[in-house]
Amino acid sequence: MNPRRRVAITGIGMVTPVGHDAPTTWTNLRAGRGGLAAIRSFDASTFPTRIGAEVKDFDAQGRIGDRKLLKHASRSVRFALAAAAEAFADAGIRPEPHNGHRWGFTVGAGMMSVTLDELQTVHEFCGRSGEFDPAGLVNPQFLPDPVAFCRAQANSGLALLTQHFGIRGYATAVHTACASGGQALGTALKVIRRGHADCVLAGGYDSMLNPVGLTAFCLLGALSKDNENPERASRPFDATRNGFVLGEGAGFLILEEWQAARQRGAHIYAELAGDGNSLSSYRITDSPPSGDGPIQAMQQSLGDAGLTPQDLDYVNAHGTSTMMNDRSECAALRAVLGDRVGEVAVSSTKSCMGHLIAAAGAVEAGICALAIRDGIAPVNANYTQPDPDCNVSLVLGASRPLRIRAALSNSLGFGGSNSCLAFRQPED
Amino acid sequence: MITGTGAVCGAGLKIDSIWDALVQGRSAVAPLSRWDATAWPVKVAAEVTGVDNRTLVEDRKLHKLILRTDLFGIYAAGAAIQQSGLTAHRDALDPAAAVRFNDRCGVISGSGGGTYQNNYDFFPAFTAVAGDLKNFGAESCSTVNPMWLLRNLPNNVLCHVGIRHNFKGTNACITNQCVGGIMAVAEAAAAIRAGEADRAVAVGHDTPIDAETMLNYFQVGLMSPDALRPFDRRRNGTVFGEGAAAVMLEKAEEAAARGAVVLGEFLSSGCVAEATGVLKVRPDGDGLSRAIQVALDEAGLTADSVGMIVAHGNGTPASDASEAQALQRVFGKNLPPVTAFKWAFGHLIAASGILDLTLALKALEQKVVPGIPTLQSLDPEFSWLTVRPNAQPARSDVALVCCRGFGGMNVAVLVRAGTSPSGS
Repeated sequence: MNPRRRVAITGIGMVTPVGHDAPTTWTNLRAGRGGLAAIRSFDASTFPTRIGAEVKDFDAQGRIGDRKLLKHASRSVRFALAAAAEAFADAGIRPEPHNGHRWGFTVGAGMMSVTLDELQTVHEFCGRSGEFDPAGLVNPQFLPDPVAFCRAQANSGLALLTQHFGIRGYATAVHTACASGGQALGTALKVIRRGHADCVLAGGYDSMLNPVGLTAFCLLGALSKDNENPERASRPFDATRNGFVLGEGAGFLILEEWQAARQRGAHIYAELAGDGNSLSSYRITDSPPSGDGPIQAMQQSLGDAGLTPQDLDYVNAHGTSTMMNDRSECAALRAVLGDRVGEVAVSSTKSCMGHLIAAAGAVEAGICALAIRDGIAPVNANYTQPDPDCNVSLVLGASRPLRIRAALSNSLGFGGSNSCLAFRQPED
Repeated sequence: MITGTGAVCGAGLKIDSIWDALVQGRSAVAPLSRWDATAWPVKVAAEVTGVDNRTLVEDRKLHKLILRTDLFGIYAAGAAIQQSGLTAHRDALDPAAAVRFNDRCGVISGSGGGTYQNNYDFFPAFTAVAGDLKNFGAESCSTVNPMWLLRNLPNNVLCHVGIRHNFKGTNACITNQCVGGIMAVAEAAAAIRAGEADRAVAVGHDTPIDAETMLNYFQVGLMSPDALRPFDRRRNGTVFGEGAAAVMLEKAEEAAARGAVVLGEFLSSGCVAEATGVLKVRPDGDGLSRAIQVALDEAGLTADSVGMIVAHGNGTPASDASEAQALQRVFGKNLPPVTAFKWAFGHLIAASGILDLTLALKALEQKVVPGIPTLQSLDPEFSWLTVRPNAQPARSDVALVCCRGFGGMNVAVLVRAGTSPSGS
């Protein structure tokens, strides 16, 4: 049997609440500058939570150009197009007509999306009583919009990005809630290993910062209600944490088969070395307090990468800032790291940029690659009060210089899907 | 190895009854019953009717937490797991071995990713604010079901199958429109081959019979007003169905060691994008022909070893014509018998490919390639296509299943007949 193919990270692109590209995002995360504020893209004044991590003043026209493409792209797909274009430019490689079939695409994407305006129109024709009446749809005044129909598809991002960039090989969209982005990158790793592609554009995009999405998370009681103090609302692992801050954005990586990347002289940020993937199968909303589920994902990821806790220097935690997630994740970290728990640096960059839901795992994978390149463990911001249930070695106060031999990135989703990715220093 | 299958659709609640409908030429496509479609451009669908939700999933508490699509998926996955006999096998293990067993059980789902009607739960809030969206938050947060998001998660089947059967291994929920379900099978098989799991259940589920979805499909020219006629010269679009299908896969050695009945062998898959945007397909069948070639190469087979083909055959003018081109390109004059199943139970979107796959196994077992009764006059543009209104014999024990979807997606899967009697 041939030796297993290795995978290099050679390009990074991001659109996040703390920056419209990867360098700005990384600079702000290193400095601990947050993107959490009062919601201003719609009137959130009567919601229990009125704060979020918005991508502010995003110049879609300037970043994407193509007007027709823009018309077919929802807000989150616009983020995806911009982040993917940045990743390609960064890597200095793109699919060409002769090799587009060897390029793959894997993405963690949001659910089917309908804008509030579109929903409001259907309400006017079909729902004035409050109940849906399909007869309104065949009212001659009601005009279905085929472009909106295309935008709404759960795989519309896949359709537009593969078309725009000429990716003609393996393509998939996955959705396991907050684990989506991590699982999409894990899938990309496997697709290159098994030879179904040589290069993959892999990432995630999401935007649930709209009245429907905000309602959904408010009703679950998952969001912080620190409306008067948004900057500190996301404080993962702090004893006073009280929920996450809903964010939006996109992150994409260019992944290449290792030898080919080396041969073309590409800059390699890090090796995407392992993937671990488990189901907690506990309760639909709750994380198991014991860390069961995330433990298996982390152990598998280490094993898959040929690593032990001895080799690890940094973990980018899922760290949502909810009571339950952070406690469960720390139990898992203690179980997996064992006597290394005091030495392996842990931080949640959601403290600065909020929770990007389906995009979170992809953006955070990019952060791990940048952390390895620069030898910096980014700060776990907004932390003041220790929680005895969260006694792991957090990066507190400021980002810390640290040579990172290997790192993990956790993404733990509603419904119990757990993803853990492992990264290695390319020089080792 | 495939050791269990399960399905539900308009044609039946069991693989065997769906198969009987196929070979007897019975279609479940009927006038829409869910709403008054008198004034509608589309008047038919293959609905699952006369089935109590508790027949599908006994646990009534669960019904409040999930959607109709999830009921179908949980039911089909349960049937596949049940047929495999794996639960009884696990129950006989010692506790430590059972823990290890569960950690090595994967769950991969292919989900439609949501329908328009999920959002109608916000209508009372719109009505209450009467156009003043400032108050929307207060109204929506007091009128919408607090569990709304959890009910609408595309990955619900994955979670609940995991919880109900205590499967805790590798997992994914594929939201890649029509090809989601069949990709779930391909990913489950890949996970087992790569050693990430010892066994995995793959399930696809969907409920496209949703008023706004149907109207939109009609507007873009994809829906037939009356019937699904694959490859017929008068074909005028697809017809929706609803339901789910599931496949239990496990390592060959393990299936053999516990003496499991093998229903079939997953050989290989090809998955490619045509990079044509959401709706367009290439007229030359480029994507599908490449997907089939990838699958053949991976299985180490040549085109002439394929004994039968279950085409996507969704009945739309462009998809069927380009599919015929793709088959011509790969098989040339050596095309084995081709059939398509959607005339009988409609197009199940995310569940379509995996349902076709479960029935392809049945066809291999029975050595019968069912005919297409709605095919009255083969389109002369591809007169060489080996589709027939009546049944044909399979040429070998290998079947090719084709599945195509929005986003220019094309997936081809090769399966081989099982070696043991299926006991059906």
